[in-house]
Amino acid sequence: MSTPSPELMQRRKFLKLVTTLPALAAAAALVSPLLRFLKPNVEKFKIYAPTVQDAARGEVIAVATLKEVANPWDYKYFVFTQKYPQYTPEGFKAANVPGVVIKLPYKIALFDPATGQGPLRWVRDIGKTPKVTESDLIIFSRICPHLGCIYNFVPNFKEVTAGYGGYLPPPPRQHALMACPCHLSIYDPADPQVPGRVLSGPAPRPPRTFLYEIQGENIIATDVEPGGIA
Amino acid sequence: MLERVRDWLQERRQKLDLFDETLVARQDNPLYLMGPMLYYFWLVTVVTGVILMLWYEPTTTGAYTSIERIQNDIGRLALTFLGRPVTLGGLTRGLHKYGADALITITFLRIYRMYFLAEYKKPGELSWMLAFLGLILGMVSGITGYLLIWNQRAFWAAKVVLTVPVYFDELPLIGPLKFGSMIAFLFLGGPAVGQATITRFYALHFGISLVLLILVEVFFQRTRRKRINMSLFPLALFMVMLVVISIILPAESGRRADPTKTPLPILSDWYFLALYQYVKYTPPLWAGLGPGLLIGFGLIVPFLDRSKGRRPLERPFFTVVGALAVIYFLAFTALILFNIAVIERDPFLIMNITLVVLALGLFWELQYRRRRRQAAAAGISPPARAPAHG
Ligand code: HEM
Ligand code: FES
Repeated sequence: MSTPSPELMQRRKFLKLVTTLPALAAAAALVSPLLRFLKPNVEKFKIYAPTVQDAARGEVIAVATLKEVANPWDYKYFVFTQKYPQYTPEGFKAANVPGVVIKLPYKIALFDPATGQGPLRWVRDIGKTPKVTESDLIIFSRICPHLGCIYNFVPNFKEVTAGYGGYLPPPPRQHALMACPCHLSIYDPADPQVPGRVLSGPAPRPPRTFLYEIQGENIIATDVEPGGIA
Repeated sequence: MLERVRDWLQERRQKLDLFDETLVARQDNPLYLMGPMLYYFWLVTVVTGVILMLWYEPTTTGAYTSIERIQNDIGRLALTFLGRPVTLGGLTRGLHKYGADALITITFLRIYRMYFLAEYKKPGELSWMLAFLGLILGMVSGITGYLLIWNQRAFWAAKVVLTVPVYFDELPLIGPLKFGSMIAFLFLGGPAVGQATITRFYALHFGISLVLLILVEVFFQRTRRKRINMSLFPLALFMVMLVVISIILPAESGRRADPTKTPLPILSDWYFLALYQYVKYTPPLWAGLGPGLLIGFGLIVPFLDRSKGRRPLERPFFTVVGALAVIYFLAFTALILFNIAVIERDPFLIMNITLVVLALGLFWELQYRRRRRQAAAAGISPPARAPAHG
């Protein structure tokens, strides 16, 4: 091809630009349907914050009786079932959220109605108010707030030191702890200020908590703090 | 601008080496047999993978059972090893698994070769970038394939890996757009590891190789280069080695995935272990950003390294960076295997060691350059070999 005159080059550049713009627009227009193909519960043309529809719904269950967790450091594991939208033709699918009920040796504040603070502060966001605001019973979700493994309640802190990377708690915290097998995050369930405080490891926050009520002899879990991957 | 990019690509494309096909002249050096071996092991995994598909069932309820059946029942031979029956299914699984391991090993070694011999310098930039992308896609194939067994290790590996992007939602500016969660949800097919996850992983696992194989084939058709530039004997030898190891050490199935119980310690395929140890040490946002930056660095290394020489000692800084990468990979893997991690102490130590070593590397580089300048000024030709220690 011979070299075209500069004038022609100018014109070619302009034409290229004119044809590129609609091509780009078309590509952009394809993003939304593609996203909806991969994730059918996204609204049309909504590519901003497309995960808002994914809230899971829990099923209210009795997780323990008061007798089962009568003495300090008694605990009980349970599994809470949550339905979440899965992008399969069947739609909703159940996921299990393992949890642990713990009887602490003293009462701690779960929610301060005046300031809205405390481990149950998330409850307001789902439009409820906690009935139990101070208690020696606390329920944690056992899904690690770090990367989603299931952590364990370890009744003897020495086992934490032996099996979870060699962390030795300071004397006031030498009691039952919670520890995650995956990246060795260690939590103190009985910290009076921040129950579930991270003592060691990469976890960015304390474990999520359950909202519960006491009905007669039963401890009933109604909701779990949203967030994370089940 | 566009023209320059096109010219640049044109020039690199002519010298493009996917599997070291143009390095035939160095065939007596095993370092340069890694390319054809890579292609060979890839073909082995693809062929055995397709055979496995005939019996594999991609469902949460059936996957583990179908793997056990493939391992123990499909195509029993009249042969036992240490009391275990040898099956064609088990052999196929072994070939697939060890073929994949060999593939990843060679990809790693080849990357190191290209790095330490500066093969990424002009005109090798594109070859290097593709080799690096190949490593990443290979690792993605590995982790998606691993989940297919649906055992404990695989389940927790998948869950941990896909929780990492959720933390991108904490980034300033782009965080509130929730693209991090979206990445996780697109791979998971929902907000939890479930049936949709297996389906998607299965599709990806198969799809990555399928698409790449087609592209590579187009490349070979166009360039008319030889696909596997190697003699028959080593090829047969590797095959025998794969078969023998599949009989002696059958591919593991582990225990069936249990979403309510995490085993202690959790491990993964060997090439992810170093990364797992790293994740213990950093805040979770950096668990994603760190590897991301590493990948970014790997991809643009050809444009960062402006040193003149190609030999390792002629560009001390980049050699130090590479050596550090090798050492950390090995050390972190060893640490996680022994389940050692003192989270209060180690990250601080590691950060300091890294900074000191990088500073020394930089110092060495400056020293080296100064000495060369002085030598040039004095009119002496530069020494044939740079001093071993700066
Ligand atoms: C088109 C190509 C491929 C197909 C059809 C395929 C198919 C499969 C199937 C059906 C399984 C489950 C069976 C089992 O675990 O034994 C599997 C597992 C696996 N695949 Fe592939 N695969 C392909 C390519 C690859 C590649 C390129 C890699 C490279 C890293 C790879 C790595 C793995 C791994 C690590 C497993 C787990 C095996 C184990 O630990 O037992 N696959 N693949
Ligand atoms: S998932 Fe529990 S510490 Fe990482």
